[in-house]
Amino acid sequence: MPATSATTTGPKTSRPVRKQAAPRARNGPRGGRKREFTTRRGLLIAAFMAPAAIFVAVFTYYPMIAGSQMAFRHWDLNDLTDTSWVGLDNFHRVFSDPNWGTVLGNTGAWVIGSIVPQLVIGFALALWLRRRFRFRGVYQALIFFPWAISGFLIGILFRWMFNSEFGVVNDLLQKAGLIDEPVAWLADPHKAMIAVLIANIWYGVTFFTIMILAALQSVPDELYEAAALDGAGKARTLFQITIPYIRVTLVLTVLLRVIWIFNFPDLIFGMTGGGPNNQTHIVTTWMIKITQQGDYGKASALGLLVVAGLLLFTVFFLLATREKREVRS
Amino acid sequence: MRRRTVALALGTAAAMVLTGCSAMSPNANGTVTLNMVESLTNPSRTDLLKGLIADFEKQNPKIKVNLISPPTEQADQKIQQMLQSGSGVDALEVRDITVGPWSNNGWLYDMAKDLKGWQGWNAMTENAVKASEDAKGRTFFVPYGFYGLSLFYRKDLIKDAGFSKPPASWDQLLKQASAINDPAERRYGYAFRGGANANSNATAIIEAYVADKVDLANGYKLKNGRTIFSAPEALDALKTYLTLFKKASPKSSVSWGYPEMVEAFSNGSTAFLLQDPEVIATVSESKSISKEQWDTAPLVAGPSGKTVQPLATAGWGVAKGSKHKAETVKLIKFLSQGKASTDFTKKNSLVPILKSATEDPFYKTGPWSSYVTMTKHPDTYLNVSQPRGVTWWREWEQKSDADVQKMVTGKMSPKELLTGWDAYWTEKWEQEK
Repeated sequence: MPATSATTTGPKTSRPVRKQAAPRARNGPRGGRKREFTTRRGLLIAAFMAPAAIFVAVFTYYPMIAGSQMAFRHWDLNDLTDTSWVGLDNFHRVFSDPNWGTVLGNTGAWVIGSIVPQLVIGFALALWLRRRFRFRGVYQALIFFPWAISGFLIGILFRWMFNSEFGVVNDLLQKAGLIDEPVAWLADPHKAMIAVLIANIWYGVTFFTIMILAALQSVPDELYEAAALDGAGKARTLFQITIPYIRVTLVLTVLLRVIWIFNFPDLIFGMTGGGPNNQTHIVTTWMIKITQQGDYGKASALGLLVVAGLLLFTVFFLLATREKREVRS
Repeated sequence: MRRRTVALALGTAAAMVLTGCSAMSPNANGTVTLNMVESLTNPSRTDLLKGLIADFEKQNPKIKVNLISPPTEQADQKIQQMLQSGSGVDALEVRDITVGPWSNNGWLYDMAKDLKGWQGWNAMTENAVKASEDAKGRTFFVPYGFYGLSLFYRKDLIKDAGFSKPPASWDQLLKQASAINDPAERRYGYAFRGGANANSNATAIIEAYVADKVDLANGYKLKNGRTIFSAPEALDALKTYLTLFKKASPKSSVSWGYPEMVEAFSNGSTAFLLQDPEVIATVSESKSISKEQWDTAPLVAGPSGKTVQPLATAGWGVAKGSKHKAETVKLIKFLSQGKASTDFTKKNSLVPILKSATEDPFYKTGPWSSYVTMTKHPDTYLNVSQPRGVTWWREWEQKSDADVQKMVTGKMSPKELLTGWDAYWTEKWEQEK
């Protein structure tokens, strides 16, 4: 909804009503020039954008559409002699697969178990980095560093770190006296899930820190000064000034991260490959595994389900952000 | 002026889209450029191939070879996409696990006629000649070497444990590995493979236990036509294998793949490792164990004293869509004989395809000698064709890997595993008929 409608037809507010711009004379020199400008400039812009548009069409939309039809066909890369239409059979094979329940549960645990600690730790770090202190820049650089590394590489690094016999994690825990004997982190489904979550929390905290820190810079100092004068403590200031002021950023960041984490197979693939016993697969790692088998029909069906799920989520995301924008305006 | 600008922009767009769409065709001077794609890429191997290609180009000035080296993890998928598009690839690396699906989809060229009467066959081992032909006598690739298992062992650790020589059977391996295993000292008996490709070692022990009954033409079949997983000996094999995991292997090896296994032996913490010869080079560079501390022994045998060599192979093939098949076959002949082949197998740590290798001092001494021993005693170390070319091999690998993990984590009994595997292969073979 455009902001102007709120200012012209909405309830009376203390804000001045914005004046509508007077329509330009249709045949006036400026109006005429504007029409000519629009047509020609538009053509020129379209011509220069054509290469990008063609590339996006060829390399994004065409594969998407072509890939979608595989979901309704028998499409096994190991035997392309029969690619007949099979209706919803591929979807049935996804839902009737014994791994489906585990994969769904893991995906939920993966998203929630990653988001909540990332948000809490990221928020705490952002609050800490907002204060002025010596070497703040160095600390900021160190905290932002993980975001620059590929997820798959981090997966491999953590795989070695969590190795029961040669890994640094067990070594540190034993030296600290917290465990008596090495823990086989990646050999047990539950411990393996905890290990991949720890790795993802470490990796994703950075993004929350960056976003929240940027939002915190926009909170006026006067608000904090006024709160201090009113005798508000740290907790009250946090919950009644800081969080409400940066709420939009928090909502958007959480929603964005949910989509990203849902779609983030790299780390699990590098660390456990979905094992042991297929017990650490999330939807996207399982889809890759099925693709590796050559069963593109089933993988495409799963891909469409992922797209549908994320589309629903995106609608919710857009509605939520629109609501916030209206409240703000 | 503006029209000209618009025309220029559109022209640029068209040019950008159309560039790269032209096929590689012979130059005016008759020079042909071949696109060659490798699959099992690593930097030193790529350099080695470039050197061999340079030698080929010197001998054949009218042929240029453009080597494409995708990262190993995605290489086969990349090659598949190229083959599916029908152009852009002439020579390619074909593996025993990809030859089935790719030939079935009509992407590979049958070189049988082109290689009829070729002198190179005479210089090759029986294994190499056999591996180059499929069941219908078609030649979709010429092998460049073999990946075969042998036992890497620690000489000092078995001596300290009171054993005078390395194990020759799976039972002896279990006994020695259990005696050496001491987790409190961070010393382990056996580098168990529970992660990626776990099925390969599980089937290796099963095949060793049924060596007397196995069909030489199909390593997963008994002479009576049933699967090797249906034999009572297969259950004994898996029980021994499970005990080897419980009594002599690190707990975390349930998720170990190639890198962890090799690391466990190279860093000195594990006494035994079943692996391909390429590991010789890796272990030789170890800073933790010296050359005097380790060696290799032939693959351990089953109760009958025999075992099956589960040889894996790969080689060079020609894409059916290639417009320069004659030149590509010429390149493959060059790579598959003489110095080019010897250099490739030596520097790439492969079991060689040439008969002359058994007389080569390089293979006669040190860790390589166990491979020569196995080659020289085909009655003990049986050469059996593995059904790795079937179209469902990838599906099988993923299913069987997961089952091995279930077995070692107690979610499935050895009997249940074998029943499942027997049913799987029986059903697949029925469908094939």
